[in-house]
Amino acid sequence: MSDAVSGMAEPDQLLDVAVDDLGIVRLTWVRGLRITEELANHAMTLVDRVNGSHERPLLVDMTGTAALTRPARVTFTRRCSASRIALLGQSPVDRVIANFALGVSSVPVPTRFFTSEPSAVAWLRHDDTGA
Amino acid sequence: MTTRAPEPGDDRLSQLVELVVELASGDRGARMQPSPASDEIDAVIVGINMMAEELQALDADLEARVTERTLQLEQAQLQLERLALYDPLTGLANRTLLADRIGQAMARADRGAAPPAVLLLDLDGFKAVNDSFGHAVGDLLLMEVASRLRAVVRESDTVARLGGDEFALVVIDATNDQVLEMAERIRTALQAPAQLGDQVCWVSASIGVCFAVRGQQADALLRDADTAMYEAKGTTRGAVQIYETRMHTAALSRVRLADQLRGAIAGGQLRVHYQSIVDLQDGRTSGVEVLVRWQHPTRGLLLPAEFIGVAEDTGMIAALDRWVLDTALAQLAGWRATVLGDSAFTMHLNISPIELRSPRFADEVLGSLAHHGISPADLVLEVTETQMTGDDAQTLQALETLRRAGIAVAIDDFGTGYSSIGYVRQKFLDLVKIDRALVTGLDTDPQQHRVAAAILAIVDAFGLDAVAEGVETAAQAEELRGLGCRFGQGIYWCAPMSAAPMTMHLTAAAHATKRAAS
Repeated sequence: MSDAVSGMAEPDQLLDVAVDDLGIVRLTWVRGLRITEELANHAMTLVDRVNGSHERPLLVDMTGTAALTRPARVTFTRRCSASRIALLGQSPVDRVIANFALGVSSVPVPTRFFTSEPSAVAWLRHDDTGA
Repeated sequence: MTTRAPEPGDDRLSQLVELVVELASGDRGARMQPSPASDEIDAVIVGINMMAEELQALDADLEARVTERTLQLEQAQLQLERLALYDPLTGLANRTLLADRIGQAMARADRGAAPPAVLLLDLDGFKAVNDSFGHAVGDLLLMEVASRLRAVVRESDTVARLGGDEFALVVIDATNDQVLEMAERIRTALQAPAQLGDQVCWVSASIGVCFAVRGQQADALLRDADTAMYEAKGTTRGAVQIYETRMHTAALSRVRLADQLRGAIAGGQLRVHYQSIVDLQDGRTSGVEVLVRWQHPTRGLLLPAEFIGVAEDTGMIAALDRWVLDTALAQLAGWRATVLGDSAFTMHLNISPIELRSPRFADEVLGSLAHHGISPADLVLEVTETQMTGDDAQTLQALETLRRAGIAVAIDDFGTGYSSIGYVRQKFLDLVKIDRALVTGLDTDPQQHRVAAAILAIVDAFGLDAVAEGVETAAQAEELRGLGCRFGQGIYWCAPMSAAPMTMHLTAAAHATKRAAS
């Protein structure tokens, strides 16, 4: 059993938000994290701050996430400055969590789950359907 | 995607089975920690965890909705209950809730508690407020009365509005003295003037009190309180009356009398008698007063005092007054054609103030006069002073219409009410009838003589004529004449009599007048 990282640590130590050279905002979560409503809010605030008045594609690296709480999922249904969102994971657990986020809640912008980063980037950049 | 079998010692599948069993048994909070392997088994564990969380949230949501709907239903039920059990104007209990509270109090009495008391209140003067200032002010007054009643009673007592200006109270766990003290407090509370918008109103309440006895029915208790209230209303304004058994007997006999009176009007048992009115200056018969009698099949000839009240309470007064009016005017038409010719002669008719407030009354009187070919100047309508409610708009309008047509209006039993002077100042009067109480002893008692002189001087000062009632002796007639009283009426000249002897009386009087003239 893994020790899920809880919200005890400072939120900034649990995630990282940055814009890459391609103009994609990358939100990377610490592995083994239990994403709560508070963390979800914090992440969205950072993404919005980075984007300013722009809308940019968002790549969320959620590889190794231990859990995503229901209030956190509800938070992600709020419209933010992301024009489309690619969720990136590796394991079957990542896939299940991502699909809960996609399926149970209705997301405001096109959102898809990828296990390959290049596919995710391509989809975000070219608006195509390749996974 | 490949699926591997669990390693030996990996019991996650067994734990997963336990988790599903726990969730199935209703423990929606059951969860399982996935392993660091993050393999397919962990994916199923995470999926079940998330589904359980979803289910838990939906459950909570449903629970919240059920709670909210239940609350709404309860509020709707309360509102319905309010509509069904409370008076919408005052917020007091209504008749249904009152009966329920009486029933509860009687049930407690059966188990050993003290029986309750019921107070029934009827406002005196409410109709005058409604008539004078309109229903909006009347409603404000009812609300004010309700609030004063609430302030007087204890938490455990019930105040109800039964409809109109009638209120009731159920008092429990109180001694008879405490109940009577409460009745007194109510009287005092209602005495204070009520500021209703721009109007200030004064009302009082007649209160009937009934102390329950064990085993009594709720409706009987209310009925007895009502009987006592009725008795209180018959005395003075703002009286408190305790129910006594004899009142029930009296009420029953009134009901019986009302029933018989209904048959009497249709069955021709009513009679009209006439008493002459004499001009004190020349002794000439100047008119007659019409007096109704009831030839009761077993009780003999009944005077108005014995049945007019019942007629007024039951609404039969309209039919009775109409019958008397028609009969008397037909008689006058007969006398005009045979005995009176066109000599000055007036017929005095008593009318109920209730009738005077009826919007159709004036038209009916004028219609009847026209039907019988009688001049309006031949008719004098007499209204009893103590029954006049004063300045209500409908009464004044009816009097105005009648007087414009030429009918004179007299105030009856003058000197027995509270506001005699006030009435003679009114513009709707032509004639004042001095009560017999002021005539009795006029010729023997100097004090009485001074009072009668003063009253006649007041009547004269307002330019009105007076008729003295109850004149029994020549000396009284002479004194009255000396004091300037214009007319007299009483057994000194003529007792009330039916049409046939009155015809002979008028014929004789006409001959005497002719002889005197020739």
